[in-house]
This record gives sequence, structure tokens and C-alpha cells, in this order.
Amino acid sequence: MVLNKKAFKLPRVEKDKFVLLMHLGCDYNRDQGVFSIKSYNNIEKLMETISGILDNEVIFLQSCIRCGKDFACGDCKYDELCTTKNLPFGCVCPQCLRDRKHFEQYIEKF
Amino acid sequence: MAANEEALMWVEKYRPKTLDEVVGLNDIVESIKAFMKNPKTMPHLMLAGIPGTGKTTIALAIARTLYGANWRNFTLELNASDERGIDTVRERIKDFSRYSRGSFGEIPFSLIILDECDQMTGPAQTALRRIMETSSRTSRFILICNQSSKIIEPIQSRCAIFRFSRLDKQAMKEHLQCIAKKENITLLPEAADKIVDFSEGDLRHAINALQTASAYKDGCVDDKTVALVIGEASPSQVQKMIRKALYGDFIESRKTMYEIMGSFGFSGSEIIRQIQREIFKMSDLTPEQKAELSNIIGDYDYRLTQGANSDIQLSALLAQFGKFGKNVEETYAAK
Amino acid sequence: MQRNDLLWVEKYRPKKIEDIIGNEEAKASFVEWLKTKRKSKKAVLLYGPPGVGKTALVNAAAREFSFTIIEMNASDTRSEKAINAVAKPATSYVALDNFSTNQTKGKGNLLFLDEVDGIAGNEDRGGVSAIIKIVEEALTPVIMAANDPDVEKLRPLKKVCLLIRFQQIRIPLVIALLQKICLLEHVKAEFEALERIAQNSRGDVRSAINDLQSLSEENHSLTLQDTAMLSSRNKDISMDDTLRGFFSSKSIAEVSSLLSYSSVDYDDFLLSVSDNLPRRYTNPAELAAAYDFVSQADVFRGRIGTEYWHLLKYFFNNLSQAAAVNPQSYKPFEFISPPIRIITLFWTKGKRTMLDGICGKIGAKCHVSHSKAKHDFVPFVKMLLQKTKNSFLIAWFEFSPEEVDFLVKMNRF
Repeated sequence: MVLNKKAFKLPRVEKDKFVLLMHLGCDYNRDQGVFSIKSYNNIEKLMETISGILDNEVIFLQSCIRCGKDFACGDCKYDELCTTKNLPFGCVCPQCLRDRKHFEQYIEKF
Repeated sequence: MAANEEALMWVEKYRPKTLDEVVGLNDIVESIKAFMKNPKTMPHLMLAGIPGTGKTTIALAIARTLYGANWRNFTLELNASDERGIDTVRERIKDFSRYSRGSFGEIPFSLIILDECDQMTGPAQTALRRIMETSSRTSRFILICNQSSKIIEPIQSRCAIFRFSRLDKQAMKEHLQCIAKKENITLLPEAADKIVDFSEGDLRHAINALQTASAYKDGCVDDKTVALVIGEASPSQVQKMIRKALYGDFIESRKTMYEIMGSFGFSGSEIIRQIQREIFKMSDLTPEQKAELSNIIGDYDYRLTQGANSDIQLSALLAQFGKFGKNVEETYAAK
Repeated sequence: MQRNDLLWVEKYRPKKIEDIIGNEEAKASFVEWLKTKRKSKKAVLLYGPPGVGKTALVNAAAREFSFTIIEMNASDTRSEKAINAVAKPATSYVALDNFSTNQTKGKGNLLFLDEVDGIAGNEDRGGVSAIIKIVEEALTPVIMAANDPDVEKLRPLKKVCLLIRFQQIRIPLVIALLQKICLLEHVKAEFEALERIAQNSRGDVRSAINDLQSLSEENHSLTLQDTAMLSSRNKDISMDDTLRGFFSSKSIAEVSSLLSYSSVDYDDFLLSVSDNLPRRYTNPAELAAAYDFVSQADVFRGRIGTEYWHLLKYFFNNLSQAAAVNPQSYKPFEFISPPIRIITLFWTKGKRTMLDGICGKIGAKCHVSHSKAKHDFVPFVKMLLQKTKNSFLIAWFEFSPEEVDFLVKMNRF
């Protein structure tokens, strides 16, 4: 299940679980009723907890630092080696990595 | 010659015991006598000059003059290069003040003779100054050094400084002849010349050579015997090591270095000091070359104090000689 | 001879925060912490594996916001005394306007304690509590970095810090960075080769850049084939291999890389290098140059002692330069290994003590130091005793029979 790291919803949880989520780095916006991730220090544990709550494996999309679009780790050929798989960090999408034109555009920016 | 207490090394046997017995240092002796007229106001003293020129002799003579036969009870002799640091110096002075009888008759203080204090680091000297201050009521210091410029200013300003200059060759020869006479041996003039040249103004060195030479040949010391003794005593291995290095044979040079370190236990800095001495003696180097080599040696001398392995630093020095040596060969050939 | 003396890790060190790849969230948290004048916690602890940008971030941030970094590095003596001596004055001055204006004048100090997990338990007498105290009293930002924050002794420290975690840099990001460097260094590199380097680096950007440099520097090109060497780097490399690799290397970067992967004992290696140096460099000028570097490496080894391990990089730096004095002149040769320590063979502690004792006795009787006794008296006394075992002399010096024996048998020097 794909979540948006900036705002995602969860079903109602008991107080203990809620406190745990906060402790693991979540933030909660009462007005909109959405969670967001504040601290990434315990991100693995956090993902585990969320997956437990949703009873489904949770993944986050990556944003490409070159082209800006979001993509899933599943498409990436290094996902077996990656220690931060499915975590919502910046990355480079496979196309940008391979594509010379995009690469040169990116370099122009420097 | 039998009694146990009578000195067996001639340097000690013939060391002047009183200020009046000292020959050739009239100005210094007169000044010191003047200070000692009123012992209570005697300042700290600093005796500075190259080795073997009479500094320790004067210091000990002062002790005898002040305290008479039992001078050892009122005198502490320390050598800065033997002590592990300023803290041990302080400890020894403290212990001494505690156990010695602080005053002797008219004289309200005891004597502390501190030799080789120019070997002390800056911070250690600062600490020494404080020690001098806190014990100034009960002690007077006689500081002995080779170079007074290495002593920090605050200490210098608290001392009356006496400078000892190199003995001239004639004076040294007279000394040696005087001793030879008392020992009933004949010292041939050429032999005396050789000894004096070898010792480079250090009378102690000269007397040791004389005594050893006389042991080799009973009754008469000739220049052949002297050559033999000097050959045995002088660091020819160091010269060999230097020459090999300069002429580019690094591996042989380093082998010699290992021999020197191995068979005599000389430390890296001791060997470097010998290298410095040897370089200056080498007649086939120009003064400019000697100066340049001296700078290189100084650089590695410093690294030696910081580094972990003295054999590496010495090897590196020999390698620099190898690079330098190209010039030596050329100038030598040009002659 | 073309030789690039500058390491690419130095050349491409991030100057701005945005140049640091990866860990965007960590970077953002850090900057926010700095900007809000640390309203939440007075200190921050950056933690994570090596080579991922912790130190780089601190430096770039200091640059951007005009702070001066006062650094107390890994395993410097961090006793309470030392910490107070440096850290106290560093953190007690604060500039009035840290952030808001465009003033370019220095905006105060940052105290940076790198590798804080290196604080040992007992040796650093009170180190951790001293740091906590500094943090409590500090008026300026206190930043700490560690590889592993979960060591027991750091627990009290974690309470007063904001923790910010750094992750391994992802492979695509590393590749992207390597691509950029290739472009700037005019290196033609196969994509698969860069991929291989990135995979091998395990998210350590520093080692990835080093590997790139050492593999591609000579020809300014890089094929997948070239990276075959990389696979052996993860295994421990033996002394012989290290020596061989060391002496035959073609550039400083190559040596650097080799040494960082080898597990040889530094001290043995240093000695072996010294032993073998004249076999590698038969030209006196080259030998002199190489030995100059080895000597400097030894100086750093001396300064490191048992604690100042942050100086290790200078040790390696100098060794590397010793290897690369003139790569062209390399010819294979026979090694001497293990290192020769003739000095310790001949001169045992027992002998040293004996000689010391003798010098002490001579010094006491003749009013000279041990050293003077050794140089000026021992040769003569030895000869005197060799000629005639003068019992009066022996008695006067109070030499023991063993000492007399020793003196008489000592080699000429």
C-alpha cells in the first residue's frame, strides 16, 4: 500500500499505539486528521508499526531529485542492495539515471 | 695511591679543590670571591660555557669554600638531563631541603648545583624559576649550562652570570704536563699536541685520553699510543656511515647505522649529535656545505623527538645525505 | 609526468548544504535546529555510518551561516580538563545576531565534537559528564557526531541532544554523483562501472569517490573491467599484498584506497616500507624524496601515540606520497618482510639497564650526566679496564663484577 509521507490517514488507533507513533517520529494534524512524518530517526520501526496498523505492507514513493516525479522502489534494480528501500527519501529514478539528455540538463543547473 | 676515597680517575684526582687552586680563570675566581665575602647576600649563579672548561670545578670549589670538609651534606648535585622532568627535580629539591641541615654557621642556605639546565624545556624552566623563588630563603642555586641563550630570561635575570671560554691550547698542554709529572710519566710534546687537538678545548676529555694512553704504555706516552687510544675511543663508525651516505651507498650506510645502534645502544638523538660533530670535522666539505647539511640534520633532529621510530628518522636523514652527496662528489673531483 | 596531487574527495568536498547528496530530511532538520536557535534542545547529535555527510553538513552549514567551527576530534583526550579548556571558551561567546541579517562577519562559534562515540570509559575521566555540562551552559550551538549512538556510555548524552539520523546514501544517488565528477574530470566511464563502484561502496560516498579516482585517474577512462579490482577490496589484504600494491601503485589515490582497505598493522607496515624503500628507489634523489614522506608519516605516528587517531589521515597521506614519488621508475623487486628490528635484537632491556647503571656510577663519581658518562667516559674506562683490571679503579667506581665484564666485552662503536 502506497502512502504519501506528507499526509496520510490511518484508522482510529488506541492511545498506546498513538503515543508510539508520535514517539517513532510521526506528527498529527488534528484539523485535517492526517499524519505526517516529522523525524526519520526511527523510520524502519515506524513503517513496521504503520504496516501493522493497516495490516498491509506499506511503502512510500521516492521523489526523483532530477526530474521531480515520484516513483516506487520496485522499479529500481538496486532494491535488493538498498538499505533504505521503500523509505520516503530522495533518489534518482531509473530513467534519469540512464538517460543522457536528462543528465545533461541536470548538469546545466550547476 | 691506595686509600679508597682517593680519586682514581685523574679528572677527579687532579680537579682543583679550592678556588685558589684553579688555574687560568682569574677574573671569574676574583669575582666569585668578592660575592662570597658576604655569603648572606650571595646571589644565584649561572656558569655558562662549552664542556670541560671548569664550570663544575668552580661550583664544587664554591661548595667546599662555603661548607668545608662536610660540603656534601649541604650540597645537592642534580643533572637536568638525567632527571625525568621538572617534577622529579622539584621532588629531589624538596627532599633535600627536608633532610639537610639548612644552614651552616654563618651561611643561611644550602647549595643546589643544577647541571645541563639548558637541556630543559621552556615550561620546565618556568617551573624551575618558581622553585628557585620559593626556596630562595633556604637555598642558593648554581646553574650550569653550555648555552645561556637557551635559558629563559626570568632565570637569567635572577643570576649572576659567568662565562667560561675555551681553554687555549698552550694552557691545556701545560695542564697535561703538570699531571704527567705528578704521575711520573713522560708526555712527549707531539703526543700532547695530538691529545689537545683531539679534545677540542675540553680538558676533561684530554685528561681521560692521557690517563688511558699511559695505561697502554708504561712510563712514556708517545703519539703512536695516543693515536691508538683516540682511534679506539672516537666514533669512526659514525664517519663511515656518513661518508657512505654522502657517496650514495644508502644500504651500506644504513647497515652501519644499525651496527652503531645495535652494539652500543646509542639513542637516535645521541647519534644525530655525533653526526653533527663529525660533519664539522670533515675537511673535504666546504663551510657552505657543512651549513647546509647542518640544517638538514637539525630538521631531522626535531622530527626524531616527535616521531615514533628513530631508525626511520635516521634512515631518512641518510637518504637526504645521499641526495646531497652528488654535490660533494663533484666539488671533490673539481679540486 | 602528469600527476594529480589533489584527492577528489578534497576537490569535490561539498561547499554548500545543497551539494550534499542524500539525507535530505536530516539536512533539513539540522538547518531548522540551527535557525530556531536551538529552542528545543541545546545540542544535536548526528549519527550514522561513515562517509554519508555528517561532517560535510557541519562544515557546509558553518560556511553558509558564517559560523566558526571549534572542533574537538575523535579520541583527542577528552578528559574533563581538556574539554573545559577548549569547549568552555568556545561556547561562551555568542554573536548578537546569528541569523536574521545579511552580515558577513563571523556569527559566533560552533562547537563540534566529532566521533563522540570514541570517548572511552575510563581514560576520558569525566568526559561525557563534562560534555553534558558544557551543553547545559553553552550559549552557542553544540554539535556532535557519532557512528554508533547506542553505546552505553552515551546514554546520558542522548537526553540533552536532538538526535538526527543519517542513512547510507542510496546507490542511484552515488551513481549520480560519480557521473557528475566524471563530467568535471573529463573521465569517460561506462555506466556499469560506476554502478559497480557505487554498489561496492555501501553508501559511503567518500570511499566511492576514492575508488573512482584511483581506477580512472591514469587513463581518464573507466570500463567495467577496470572495476574487477574492487571485489578484492572487501577482503582483508595481507602484508605482502599490501606492500606489493603499495610500491607498484601509480598514484596517490590508488595508495590511499589500498591502505584504507588493508588490515595490516600500521606499525609493522611503516617499518616494512622503510626497510624496502631503498630497493624501490635506487635513484638517490627519489629515495630522499620518498624517505622525507616516510619520515613525516612516522612523525604523525609518533603524535598519534595511543589516542590521537584523528591524525591517522595525515599518516596515510604521507605514506601515500612516499609510494608515488615516481611511478614510472617502478621495477619489481624482492621484499624484506617481516620488518627488521636489529636494534631490539642486539640491545635488550637488560643490556640497556646495565649500561645505564654503569653511567650512573661514573656520573656520580665524576660529576657528569649519564649521557656525558656514556660518551666521554665509557670508552676510556672500558679501555682502562681492558688493559689492566685495575681493582682500585673498580672499587672506586663501585662496579659489580657483572658490570666490569660487560664493559670489557662491549664492542667498539
